[in-house]
Amino acid sequence: MKRYPCSGCSLLCDDIIVKSDGLFIDKIIGACLKGKERFDQVSAQNRITSPLIRKNNELINVSWEEALAKTVEIIKNSSAPLLYGFSNVTCEAQRAGMDLAREINGFIDSNASICQGKILNKAKSQGINLTTITEIINKGDLIILWGANPAETIPRLLNKVLFSRGKFRMTGREIKTLVIIDPVKTASFRVMGVRDLALIIEPDKDIELIQMLKEECCSADSIPSGGVAGIDKSDLKRLLLHLTGAENGVIILGQGVLQPHADYDLIEELLDLLQLINDRQVKGRISLLLLGGHFNMAGFDHVALSSYGVSGKLQFENKKLVKSEDTIVSKINKENFDCSIIVGTDPISHLPHSLSSKLARKPLILIDNHSSATSRIADVILPTSITGIESSGLVYRIDQVPVELKKILNPPNNIPSDEELLNQLIKKFNGGAK
Amino acid sequence: MEIYKWLPKTNCKECGKPTCMAFSLDLLQGKVKVDDCPPILKPKYKKQYEKLKEMLGSEEGQQKELRINVDEDLCDGCGICVTVCPVNARYCPPSLSGKAPEYPPEKHQLFQVIGGKCELLNLEHCRRLDSEGRERECHVCETYCPREAIKIEYV
Repeated sequence: MKRYPCSGCSLLCDDIIVKSDGLFIDKIIGACLKGKERFDQVSAQNRITSPLIRKNNELINVSWEEALAKTVEIIKNSSAPLLYGFSNVTCEAQRAGMDLAREINGFIDSNASICQGKILNKAKSQGINLTTITEIINKGDLIILWGANPAETIPRLLNKVLFSRGKFRMTGREIKTLVIIDPVKTASFRVMGVRDLALIIEPDKDIELIQMLKEECCSADSIPSGGVAGIDKSDLKRLLLHLTGAENGVIILGQGVLQPHADYDLIEELLDLLQLINDRQVKGRISLLLLGGHFNMAGFDHVALSSYGVSGKLQFENKKLVKSEDTIVSKINKENFDCSIIVGTDPISHLPHSLSSKLARKPLILIDNHSSATSRIADVILPTSITGIESSGLVYRIDQVPVELKKILNPPNNIPSDEELLNQLIKKFNGGAK
Repeated sequence: MEIYKWLPKTNCKECGKPTCMAFSLDLLQGKVKVDDCPPILKPKYKKQYEKLKEMLGSEEGQQKELRINVDEDLCDGCGICVTVCPVNARYCPPSLSGKAPEYPPEKHQLFQVIGGKCELLNLEHCRRLDSEGRERECHVCETYCPREAIKIEYV
């Protein structure tokens, strides 16, 4: 039976068996609940299958021509459009989004800039040690979950990295040590064995732990007898032994570590620590795995780098790329935009109220396949097919490995994919010229 | 495990079983009675004997059947049970590396994730019924389930 990659989350499991007759999906075997929900979205109640326009404060069904004309009108009336989202679309659609931003002199940013993209940006100056899922399966012997709870966010991750047996080993779970650093006892703690290390850290004290480990790396015996950040001395010693003695360790970084702090940069310190540890490593190395949620979270930086030579956000003026210090958050905060195009995400429910209320005040064009909090305030909604089920394309996994998504079904009402729709919009602005 | 705690743990083999652990398992399944353990009848273990009698209550000596319950509401289809189950590992080797097993399933296979939920396919090949010695005490699926959805019971 044929296996398909799943687009439910950023792990992109490529072993899902789908029984389908070409019109409907009968059975999904091997996918977790999150993946199954993704496949269920095809016939979900909140699916949008025809374009909508807001008239007299009410969303009404219109034809494609009318919806596109309204979109073009909104964009032409604005001088600083904002494009945001692009984490739930393929790399091809991201490329089209960037080209559209260039045509309309806009600012484009992805979800990654308020998520894992921060680490990649820091890593540009300091260097980063990344790893792949396959490498952890086959060679990994130390897995550290730092501020991450994959048992509930990415269900199959622990199954793959912790319990599976690699090509070169006779044992799986027995040889892999699990360390969890988290302020609360999450569901991931339940898979712990006798040899594993559970470190309940006091909230917001990660910096103390990192600084202590850095000191200990440079000079031995600098651990205070009372421990650090609510962790015992003996546990800290064990952690350091694991870190320096592992052959192929990986630190899985979750959202918990990403919160910005006023007086220090946690990510910078963490990358420093990683370098220090890798200098002291005797057998192997410690690398990082960045846990993102959306299925193409990692792709935006790669596409921006390969097509425009910049990683992360892009600002265009006079159809040329200009340097900008702004991020999506500062742009919205300063209200430095006059219309927004949201692609495949739901910023109204993701962003705090202070930002989302500012976003809602300006005209909003939503390109998505299902209704959400954002669709309730959008002025134009352009529906697209579901990537990975109704359209194909290239996406990047959490470990920065490209995976090709496949088409299984035909989309209802012949709705276009994200890529086709964005290319249509580009044509409206440049009149078909390349 | 609760029953094993209260046994003498001397591994004297007087009951005919190789270990106290094996005896406790049989006790749980109702194959033997507490009185079948000679050392526990000694006055030294009187307290433990009474405790065991109290724990087993009136169900002592009644033959019980193994049941593995998968709670559909709690399960999120992570597939850890599919990977760790030793029977699955023997008959569908790809599941060892975290890969979803083939469909339709192999006839010995115990667990498979279908439609986002774990399904127990057949119980008769479970190690608790279909093996010898210490392997009969296998409970990896129950131990490692992060959602605590799997429960091994004797009813």
